[in-house]
Amino acid sequence: MSGQPQGGSPPQHSLAFRVMRLCRPSFQAEDAVFRLLDPLDLLAPEDLLDDPTLPLDLLFDDAAGPDARVANSDFTFRDRFQIRSPVDAMSLSGLLVLPQSFGNIYLGETFSSYISVNNSSKFEARDVIIKAEIQTERQRILLLDTSKSPVESIRSGGRYDFIVEHDVKELGPHTLVCTALYNDGDSERKYLPQFFKFVVSNPLSVKTKVRTVKDNTLLEACIENHTKSNLYMDQVEFEPAQQWIATRLEVDEHTSETNSKTRGLFKPPILVTAGGGIYNYLYLLKSTVESGRVRVDSSSILGKFQITWRTNLGEPGRLQTQQIYGTPIVHKDIDLHILDVPPIIVLERPFLVHLSLKNQTERTLGPFEIFTSPGISSEEKVAMVNGIQKLVLPPVEAFDSNIIELNMIAPRLGVQKISGVTVFDVREKKVYDPLPDVEIFVDRA
Amino acid sequence: MAGEGETQTAAVSDPLLSPPTSSLGFPFDVPSLLSLSRRGQWRALLDAVADARRDSHLLPHQHLACLALSSLALSKLRRFSDAAAEIDALDASFDSPRFRFETYPAAYPGRSGSMIPFALRFLHADLPQRLGSRSVTLDRLYALLDLVQYKIQEETVAAPAADRWRRREAFVMATLCCNHFAHREFEVVLALIRQLLERDPSDPLLLSRLGYVQLQIGDLTGAKASFARVESLHPEGERTVELENLVGRNRALEFIVAKDYTAAVREYEECIERDPADVVALNNKALCLLYSRDLSDSIKVLEGALERVPTGALNETLVMNLCSMYELAYVNHGDVKKSLSNWIAQVAPDDFDPSCTRI
Repeated sequence: MSGQPQGGSPPQHSLAFRVMRLCRPSFQAEDAVFRLLDPLDLLAPEDLLDDPTLPLDLLFDDAAGPDARVANSDFTFRDRFQIRSPVDAMSLSGLLVLPQSFGNIYLGETFSSYISVNNSSKFEARDVIIKAEIQTERQRILLLDTSKSPVESIRSGGRYDFIVEHDVKELGPHTLVCTALYNDGDSERKYLPQFFKFVVSNPLSVKTKVRTVKDNTLLEACIENHTKSNLYMDQVEFEPAQQWIATRLEVDEHTSETNSKTRGLFKPPILVTAGGGIYNYLYLLKSTVESGRVRVDSSSILGKFQITWRTNLGEPGRLQTQQIYGTPIVHKDIDLHILDVPPIIVLERPFLVHLSLKNQTERTLGPFEIFTSPGISSEEKVAMVNGIQKLVLPPVEAFDSNIIELNMIAPRLGVQKISGVTVFDVREKKVYDPLPDVEIFVDRA
Repeated sequence: MAGEGETQTAAVSDPLLSPPTSSLGFPFDVPSLLSLSRRGQWRALLDAVADARRDSHLLPHQHLACLALSSLALSKLRRFSDAAAEIDALDASFDSPRFRFETYPAAYPGRSGSMIPFALRFLHADLPQRLGSRSVTLDRLYALLDLVQYKIQEETVAAPAADRWRRREAFVMATLCCNHFAHREFEVVLALIRQLLERDPSDPLLLSRLGYVQLQIGDLTGAKASFARVESLHPEGERTVELENLVGRNRALEFIVAKDYTAAVREYEECIERDPADVVALNNKALCLLYSRDLSDSIKVLEGALERVPTGALNETLVMNLCSMYELAYVNHGDVKKSLSNWIAQVAPDDFDPSCTRI
């Protein structure tokens, strides 16, 4: 786990760098040590444990008594054979274990390392100038430099230790360069460089979608975990741009959490699983600009995400996303919808359908023509306009609406459609999208 | 001569009306075998059981006890395929009538029920993962949990019996927690702990372990709440040494999270003063010293622990930590690790896993 030197250190150096990555420790679950709840479980039939002929007194367990530790302190490994209470089988005693390998490093984490300068020679090393820096493609960051006050001496068998920390803000290859400049036993000035390489990868990706439902703008963010650990989402905050207010939409707490003994202890943590796990966040964005008629076009900025995640023992990582842009709202000039359809429609008998046409712009629109455009397939079961095929409407003023009465007739039985009702603005020569199909049921007379 | 009209009393299944006469003794000296287990002398135990098995007059339940002991010893010696082979040689499911008392009315008059030792079922479930099939182990453990829960519902007779099955239920659930935790499946661990807490919401050890899982996940708020619950269970003046140390160690963990290693070391030192054999405090104190840039002292604490309280400190995790420190401290760490390894070979129990030294 301690770094191996790369980049040429000739064998006659008195000093050597030993490096260990110091991310936080973890809890050890000792799942390899097989322990029993009760020695009786090993010998006695599982169904007959209170039988008087069982040699229970011989098996009497003195481990539970207050003198247990004293009684068993000389040379017994009882705790590797037997546990005291059933829950001890979790084997989580609280023992911490050091990181066993260098592991992966991700953008947003803090790289921390123990560096020990060892003198394994028989002679003292004097006037030691130690430097540690991180080199990336773009920059060199100095972490430690003892030039101003060199270490006077590192005796034979001795060491000089330091811990460095660096917030990782760049992707790609990094090199931790450790150098020592010192006088060796022959008073020769020696220079020892050692290099430890690692690569920084991206821990997360954030994919966003912007949708408009009626007058609401919704932002959906999907966070995907590319690391090899489960990530606990400690804080995920969307910081909206000036003209927006964002509210997070969350699912209500699961109703199964009603057990009063455990409620409150168990707010389920948001844990995104390693290697591709995802979690979604949903925000409602409301505009702070009056009138609500702000058009969100593709160049409008919605805001950005600040994400803080944690791993073992609270090891933090922090990232900020790029600005997120909105997608355009399709803001229609006119709104056409059906107001009512008669509840009973009889074959070949005319019926009336009422529609509303609303002008959603600030200017007068029209006059209009309304007609049903022919369906694509001749098989289509379509109700037809009865009488004059094209209805003419006078102009409609800004933000005003008009009610249209369509006289229709259905030539066939069963489930039919009112389809292809189209509005044509005569003055602007503009055809609007047809009304979405409406199903009707046509009965016999 | 008995009247011809009399009928012979058939074997009654209610043990209270007709107490069984056959003794459930064992073909070996139970106290000495237990002593061997507690000393970790598994090779000697294996030999003793082999001797007992040579007796050709063993009753079925005695065969099963020998089998359970033998498989356990083999597992402890990490001879997992041998252990599995022994159990497979039974060539029948544990629920077969072959292993029920009522199948042998002559040998066990008036007895009924399963003669399988519970530990045998557990060993049988644990072994596949040691041989590379974790999914089989999980299936067997969850099936075992089903069996235990069924027994709990069934046991309307004697309270002690139902109580024993309830303890076994918690045991299996806790084992599953351990397994899932080791594989980083934390959501399952939390769900299992939630069920365990429903059965006993004031167990300080269970609540502390919930805190450890939350800390491992990174849920610091959750852990804080769990540790606060533990502290509130008993007022400060009224705690046993064990509980006081548990609370102290939990506090130390919170200091470690905040990177206040000095405060954490102080907490651990108080624990060690109250109980010099508190290996968790010793181990974790050494790690705090390392994180405080004091590699030399961290090594001294672990070496000292092994010297003063070898039976507690001889733990694979502690040894692994010490070896990591040796690798950092010495360019030629091979020598110092070798002498540690030699010392361990002389002092450690038979089931100690030497691969933790990474030599």
